[in-house]
Amino acid sequence: MSPVSDLTLLEVRDIRKVFVDEDFQTPVLKGVNFSLQRGEMVAMLGPSGSGKSTLLSILGTLMRPTSGSLRMLGKELTALAERELSDFRNQQIGFIFQYHHLLPDFTALENVMFPHAGRLWRETRAGRERAAMLLERVGLSERMNYRATRLSGGQKQRVAIARALMNQPALVLADEPTGNLDRENADQAFALMQEIQRETGTTFLLSTHDRELAERCERRIVIRGGIVVDGAEPTASRTESSNGLRMIDGEVTAVIDHTHLSSTSNDRRRA
Amino acid sequence: MRFDLKVALRYLTANRLQSALLIGGVAVAVTVFTFNAALINGLAEFQIDRVVGSSAHVTIEPARIRPALAPAADGTSRLVVSQVALQRREQIKQWRTVEQIIDTIPGVTGVSYNILGTGLLSRGEQTLPITFKGVEPARLGAIAPIDQNIVEGEARLGINDVLIGRKLAEDLGLRIGQPVLITTDQGRTRTLTVRALYATGVDSLDARLAFVNLDSARVMFDLPEGLTEIEIKLADIYAARDVARQLADSTGLEATAWMDKNQRLREALEGQGSSGNIIKMFTLITIVVGVASALLLTTFRRRPEIGIMRSFGISQRFVLSVFMLQGALIGIIGSIVGCFLGWSFSTLLSNIGAASGRRLPVDPALGQYDIALLLAAAASIAAALWPARAASRIDPVEAISQ
Repeated sequence: MSPVSDLTLLEVRDIRKVFVDEDFQTPVLKGVNFSLQRGEMVAMLGPSGSGKSTLLSILGTLMRPTSGSLRMLGKELTALAERELSDFRNQQIGFIFQYHHLLPDFTALENVMFPHAGRLWRETRAGRERAAMLLERVGLSERMNYRATRLSGGQKQRVAIARALMNQPALVLADEPTGNLDRENADQAFALMQEIQRETGTTFLLSTHDRELAERCERRIVIRGGIVVDGAEPTASRTESSNGLRMIDGEVTAVIDHTHLSSTSNDRRRA
Repeated sequence: MRFDLKVALRYLTANRLQSALLIGGVAVAVTVFTFNAALINGLAEFQIDRVVGSSAHVTIEPARIRPALAPAADGTSRLVVSQVALQRREQIKQWRTVEQIIDTIPGVTGVSYNILGTGLLSRGEQTLPITFKGVEPARLGAIAPIDQNIVEGEARLGINDVLIGRKLAEDLGLRIGQPVLITTDQGRTRTLTVRALYATGVDSLDARLAFVNLDSARVMFDLPEGLTEIEIKLADIYAARDVARQLADSTGLEATAWMDKNQRLREALEGQGSSGNIIKMFTLITIVVGVASALLLTTFRRRPEIGIMRSFGISQRFVLSVFMLQGALIGIIGSIVGCFLGWSFSTLLSNIGAASGRRLPVDPALGQYDIALLLAAAASIAAALWPARAASRIDPVEAISQ
């Protein structure tokens, strides 16, 4: 296997989505093509109504495309049945939403554990420990047993980040994750995601309107009118580039990602 | 603890007022259910007790004499009119054999070998038609507790004695020790002495019946050997039909259970029973409607949360289970509370009745608590099914963007 294909996490080919309302057809995605590599942090930019949210829902397997192919970790996701998709989503995809969307009747710790405990139908010590570790990582170890409703906006979003990482997903999809936060909290949340991405090699795809944050990502996919108009493939930053600094940056990241990924996959096998 | 149970409990405790109202609603319905059962069943027991307490559970009578007929040719049928034999008295002649058979039946608590006959009881100018019941003196209280209901005189039944009800004594102005003239339908006359007055509270016994010694009845009604009926009391009154069938089969005589002799009672009990069932059914419908609508509301309110759960790959089955468990918990807790309330309420009423001397026919022991518990829990779970399915089928994308 070539090293390039080994690094590919997600391949999106000619994804189309047409919403049908009675006799009225609205094509939202008109043949989207792009790919994501393992350990990348990619921003998705585009004006409102360009199809970003729809695309994120499709990438997150919450919505089926009208046509096209979606390959992740060597699996054609469009061919999976509902139950398999649910399992796949649970284990490989993490979501971070604009409005945190924590479960209000549960504590921060329970919110983070939920994807794990819900899959197993029971809470485990290992799950609890991992959730506690993640909360510590996002700087909320003292708020672990607070109900979600008692946390501030920034804290809630950090809990949401921890929850997205609970099952060690390969891909985290973030839909305007800082859209509802003030500048300071937005910067904090972004920095946190960036650190975690570097530490764990998890791939992040962020849809955002925030140009400044987008600039801090390795790559920017621009979507307009239902198609990707720029940044579809990771040629610029990941392979050869005119920008020397960025190339080094990218290569260093890729090396860290790779070793980390192989160690985690060994861990998983052992578990 | 199972995680779905934890989530269900958390949802129930998150909205305490709604959960309390729901559980309260189920509890009230179960209270009505169990109190209604205690009342209807208590009333039925009371009525049965009144009837069965002073009458036989199985009555054996002579077989009807049917004219012997030659078999009809195949494929033909014929109508036969026959007259009841007027010359022959219907009687149980071989009663000693029947006695032996009865001795082998388990659960028999009392037997009385009787001669029943009609006649006139006169005192001075006054004459009343009544039924005479000839019994063995030792078995006077075997069927109706006559010996325990003597209000005047003593329960002795010598060859020249007669025991009559207080009502009959009042009608004829009779007192203890007074002689009365008896003329039987066989045309014999005899003078007997009133030995005791009894009051059972049952009109047919107190006003229209007189007890005489079986030996005097033999003479009065011209039955030197036979009997006209044998009455049996059983420990389990509901075994009466089986015992009657068994006796009819083994003796060839007519044996009738109390429930078949008292058709009016049976109809009354059936009527009460079915009206009680209608009330019970409505309580169950109340539970289903209440629980279903409340949970449906919860489902709607929690749509975004369910969408979120689905977004991180929580299965539809898990969501379904969370809502089904909420219904089950509401049903089980509500019906336990309801059973307790129903029992308390019927105990209270039954005690108040006992204290005031007018016992209310409520029997707290007959509240059908097990059935109430089972049905109420089942109704709640059934009611949760629809909301739970609705919850599990929520489209996450739509719910999250709400």
